[in-house]
Amino acid sequence: MIVEDSSLVTDAFAVLFGEAGYEVHSARTVADAIELGKRTQIDLILLDLTLPDGSGLDVLSALRQSGQLPRATLAMTGHTGGGVRETCLAAGCAEVLTKPVPIRELLRQIERLLG
Amino acid sequence: MKMSDGLDSAALHKRLAALEAQGEEARRTIDELKSRDALKTQFLSNISHDLRTPLAAIITHAEILREGMLGSLNPRQRESVSGIVNGGQQLIDMIDEILTYVRSASDQVALIRTEFSITEVVDQVKLLNESLSAKKRLTIERLNGDDVPPVYADRDKLKHVLGNLIGNAIKFTHDGGRIWIKFARRGRDGDELLVEIGDTGRGIARDHYDLVFREFAQVDSSPSRPHHGTGLGLAIARKLVELHSGRIWVESELGKGSRFFFTLPLNPPRD
Repeated sequence: MIVEDSSLVTDAFAVLFGEAGYEVHSARTVADAIELGKRTQIDLILLDLTLPDGSGLDVLSALRQSGQLPRATLAMTGHTGGGVRETCLAAGCAEVLTKPVPIRELLRQIERLLG
Repeated sequence: MKMSDGLDSAALHKRLAALEAQGEEARRTIDELKSRDALKTQFLSNISHDLRTPLAAIITHAEILREGMLGSLNPRQRESVSGIVNGGQQLIDMIDEILTYVRSASDQVALIRTEFSITEVVDQVKLLNESLSAKKRLTIERLNGDDVPPVYADRDKLKHVLGNLIGNAIKFTHDGGRIWIKFARRGRDGDELLVEIGDTGRGIARDHYDLVFREFAQVDSSPSRPHHGTGLGLAIARKLVELHSGRIWVESELGKGSRFFFTLPLNPPRD
């Protein structure tokens, strides 16, 4: 599942993961992501941290509460620093990537986490 | 001529009132300027963030094409698509520089100190710049530093400073030139580390020593200038060094290269 408020970015990822052979769902808000996460069996979340209705990390805490956490979560942020990485790792993200994430690295990370 | 005390004091009161009014006016102007400056900073921050998102999408699409995921490309097509990726990446780097500046200007930056080897960071930055310096046949050498004690500082921020200084040295040094990094201990008990980044590049005139550290300033700001950039790199470096209670300056002569120095306290107070 891709959680990201810009359709430009989710469209690009949809092309990428579609070609790489993954089934892709996308959500543009915290609320949509929680709803989708509860309804669908998700293996991995690609999570933008800044969403229109809150922080991406809110999605994780809600899914944790309902016992529906995915196998792995990769956080994405525009700008690292200021302890963002530490906060995300503490919240249960496997890694924090800076946008734009080089696609080779992204696919490698996902294969590692799901493999 | 002798004035009565009454008149004297009335004139004095009048003058005082005028001065107070002027002071009040000046304070209002300063407040107004401050709030405009904050608005400008907020605008820069928003626009940078908003520019980044579509740009990230463009780069991802171009990378998908370049990797041949939508069908293989011939060499010329791949070269052209690589141009989109590289150009986009250069824009992202500039936007990030603006964002870093905005954050440091609005005091949003906190130091995250750890103990680490600064020579290791220098070697990392050198490695990161290897392909750029190889293209211009530049030699980059770390002349000493194996005996420098670990520093207690913000690793990412010092890496940024070193990356900026070494990056500038590469940018402004002619093909085949030399760049070096040198360490020295200063202060009464050698409790201050002096870091020097020198080059055999085009140099900076004495009149411009201060200008280069000023935000948005470039020695050559004409549209036809050979080196483009945001003009924020050294202003950010200065902020980050000063956050560490250090100083940064340049010694240079036109045509004879530049030596940038910064200091770093080796034993800062620990919380």
